[in-house]
Amino acid sequence: MPFTRGWGQTRSRPKTSIFRSEIMSLVQLYIPSDVARFTVSQLGEMGLLQFRDLNDDVSAFQRSFVNDVRRFDELERKLRYLRTQIERSDVDIYDFFNEEAVAASRGPRDIDDMEEKIGAHEDRVLRLTAAYKDLQLKHLELIENKHVLEEVSSLFVEISGRQQTAAAPAPASASRASAGGAHDSVPLLGRSDSLSRRSIGSLDAAYAGDAGGYDVEGGRIGGGHDINIGFITGVIRRDRVATLERVLWRSLRGNMFLNYVDIEEPISDPKHDEPVYKSAFIVFAHGESLRDRATKISEALGATLYHVDRNAERRQEELIETMSRLDDLQQILENNNAARINELTNVSEQLNTWFTIVRKEKAIYHTLNLLNYDANRNCLIAEGWCATNDIPAIQSALHLATEDAGSNVPTVLHELRTTKEPPTFVRTNRFTDGFQNIVDAYGVPKAGEVNPGLFTCITFPFLFALMFGDLGHGFLMTICAALLCIYEKKLAWLAKDESLRMFYTGRYIVLLMGIFSMYTGLLYNDIFSRAMSMFSSGWQWPSDQGGEGVTVEATKLGHTYPVGIDPAWHHAGNSLLFTNSYKMKMSIVLGIIHMTLGICLQVPNALYFKKRINIVHVFVPQIIFLFSIFGYLVFAILFKWCTDWYARDAAGELTHISPPSLLNMLIYMFLSPGSVGESERMFRGQAALQTVLLLLALACVPWMLLVKPFILRREHQKIISEGYGRISSHVRVSSEDDAPGGAVIVSEQEEMQEDDFDFADIMINQTIHTIEFCLNSISNTASYLRLWALSLAHAQLSEVLWTMTFLPTLKMSGALQPIAIFCGFAVWFVLTFSILIGMEGLSAFLHALRLHWVEFNNKFYDGTGTKFEPFAFKTILDEAEE
Amino acid sequence: MGGVLVFWIGALIVGICVGVLFAFKGMSDPTLWRTCTILSLACCYLMWAITYLAQLHPIIIPKRDNLRIEF
Repeated sequence: MPFTRGWGQTRSRPKTSIFRSEIMSLVQLYIPSDVARFTVSQLGEMGLLQFRDLNDDVSAFQRSFVNDVRRFDELERKLRYLRTQIERSDVDIYDFFNEEAVAASRGPRDIDDMEEKIGAHEDRVLRLTAAYKDLQLKHLELIENKHVLEEVSSLFVEISGRQQTAAAPAPASASRASAGGAHDSVPLLGRSDSLSRRSIGSLDAAYAGDAGGYDVEGGRIGGGHDINIGFITGVIRRDRVATLERVLWRSLRGNMFLNYVDIEEPISDPKHDEPVYKSAFIVFAHGESLRDRATKISEALGATLYHVDRNAERRQEELIETMSRLDDLQQILENNNAARINELTNVSEQLNTWFTIVRKEKAIYHTLNLLNYDANRNCLIAEGWCATNDIPAIQSALHLATEDAGSNVPTVLHELRTTKEPPTFVRTNRFTDGFQNIVDAYGVPKAGEVNPGLFTCITFPFLFALMFGDLGHGFLMTICAALLCIYEKKLAWLAKDESLRMFYTGRYIVLLMGIFSMYTGLLYNDIFSRAMSMFSSGWQWPSDQGGEGVTVEATKLGHTYPVGIDPAWHHAGNSLLFTNSYKMKMSIVLGIIHMTLGICLQVPNALYFKKRINIVHVFVPQIIFLFSIFGYLVFAILFKWCTDWYARDAAGELTHISPPSLLNMLIYMFLSPGSVGESERMFRGQAALQTVLLLLALACVPWMLLVKPFILRREHQKIISEGYGRISSHVRVSSEDDAPGGAVIVSEQEEMQEDDFDFADIMINQTIHTIEFCLNSISNTASYLRLWALSLAHAQLSEVLWTMTFLPTLKMSGALQPIAIFCGFAVWFVLTFSILIGMEGLSAFLHALRLHWVEFNNKFYDGTGTKFEPFAFKTILDEAEE
Repeated sequence: MGGVLVFWIGALIVGICVGVLFAFKGMSDPTLWRTCTILSLACCYLMWAITYLAQLHPIIIPKRDNLRIEF
């Protein structure tokens, strides 16, 4: 199997082309242990080698370099933590990328240094964050305390005020000097005149008539009764106050008095994300047990209780102290924050560099896990696929690595002979990359077979353009794509965005689609649904007849419109009759040509895989079958177009009968072979020709069906009769089951692969293949009619949009016309872009894709290959970014 | 004009394609550029030729009923 070149053969550099995938070699590397890391690192930078897993019978936890992988996992976790902290604190992550540090080969000491630094940073940030949280809690407490002190003071002041007005002769003996200068003995009764306060309590009823006051401070009622009323104060969420009231009322059986004040500014509670509104409340209850119960209930409802002194002076002192503590705390918080941000800023400068280094190292150790460790010779053995043309580059990388490590022992590269199927490597550049992606989405080419991507570069945009043909829309598309292509370096970030990635990676596809659409738009004579008259038309409208509702006919002048469809058709009412016929026939003709190209691509495949039988007994009958039916149809189409059906000879008589119907002709060719009806006759001898073609096509069917299997069987019997037996077939090798590690040490691998010859199998396959081809030849040809259908839809949509949105504004009269034109144009342009270019574009893209994937590919394409995925840091880093 | 024009232009295109087969020698992947050029020329020519041939001897005549009378 000509996939690889043997060791020792002189290698002439074959010119690489995307016509076929590259020739791959299976190489073996003997790497000394101390150079291993550097070697893998250099190979990762180059990205040319796909390592094979030589340890796939070992679980992930038993591999040699598991600890190193774990170490870097841990580092990555720390880095991720640092990154979240940075993002949360709104510190800018510098996109600063220390190129040299990342690219340079790193020794173990550098890695250890980095690990230490990262560990130290993480430690500090952790401590600062924890301290910050503590400080915040403290801050909350102090603020709530302050509010409680303030509100409760004002509550006492109000109560005292009421007491004073209600009972004027109340002894002033209990009065103390307080901040507001008001008395502190207040009645608990009476209406409150401020709206934010309410008083409830059964004490209301009990003391209704008594004008005596209750001195909160002294705990004495003016009447001399001594009731031990204590209170609890605290802060609770505003929406919970009503619940608190109700529950306290019920559980304390009304023997309580609750007053509360809403705190105006919201308090930021670390438990909740946003600031919450709270209220300060005070509950009066007499008796320890009642107060305990009240405490428990309020704490259960989420209130925080603070102790407030009865004495106004002491309350004042407490308030002042709390305020000063708050100030201090504020200071500490700011310092802490500043320190944290400082630390995080330091980290952020190096964060990207560290991330890259850690990911690269992890990738290196993952790869080292794939290699086989040979303890005797103290070296690692690697096996991998690479393109034969890249072997010099790989050798230079190995050389570099040996130098970096400062070692004298070189790495040995050894090519292996194998019949395993290599992965498929198609070397694309940024132009062909998009088209190759389209092909790969259907199936990766098998190694060595013809790559349809080469032809897709042109046929795909062309088939798209046939369905999208409009000069104006094509122009807009070309401009957008050209901008994407010209500024592709600056717009590289688009590749990371999920939704816009498709447009960025397919920018060259869109560019070509736009250019071809302009060409087909020129030929369809369609620019934003208008027609152009670049040359003189081949038809002339009469100058004497006319008017609304009067049908006139054009007369044919001597010449044909040279490029495209005549503009006279644009105004004609029966233009669809002509354009439909024209587009349908064009679709069939171009479809047959496309399919012929597909069938012909079987020939290079057959030559490359040395299966001559495929050419003679598969390709030839297929071509004869297709041409005898549909090639004849194409010929008939061209013949009908080239004949002047209304030509008159010297005597003025029509030389031909009426133009024949091609569809009927094709149908009757099968239904009544040997005779051609009057309305289908095109030329003399037509009946005989049709019969011959029909017989040819019929003869091809058994040819395709039977000849190849019987020839294969005869060859196989010849081999057996000459005494060569089959080598035991259980050594069947495919790219999936690899030889176990022991066989790798052997330098030459010879694996015999022999097909089990099963005649029934081959026969069934051939039958399916034949039936598929014959039926597909009809259905695929008809499938190409979608080229007509979509271009018709596009043209009609475009015309409707024009006549409905913009044309009426042009026909308006009056002063409003300029505004109407402005609005009409806006609507027309937006809808053109979104519906006609966006929606129709995607639709045509999809149908062109289907034509390639099904109608073109099933003529020759196998598509069962695996893609070549070399070990490259670039891919790994890109993936990790997502 | 006539149908012969199609033939001559076709011959011209074939000549250009043969010339292209020997061009693009200095590029990294000459096959790609040769294939692209030949395919583009072929596709464009085919479409033009089909459009031209379809209008050479028309079977349908354009008709309209909103012709503005010239004065």
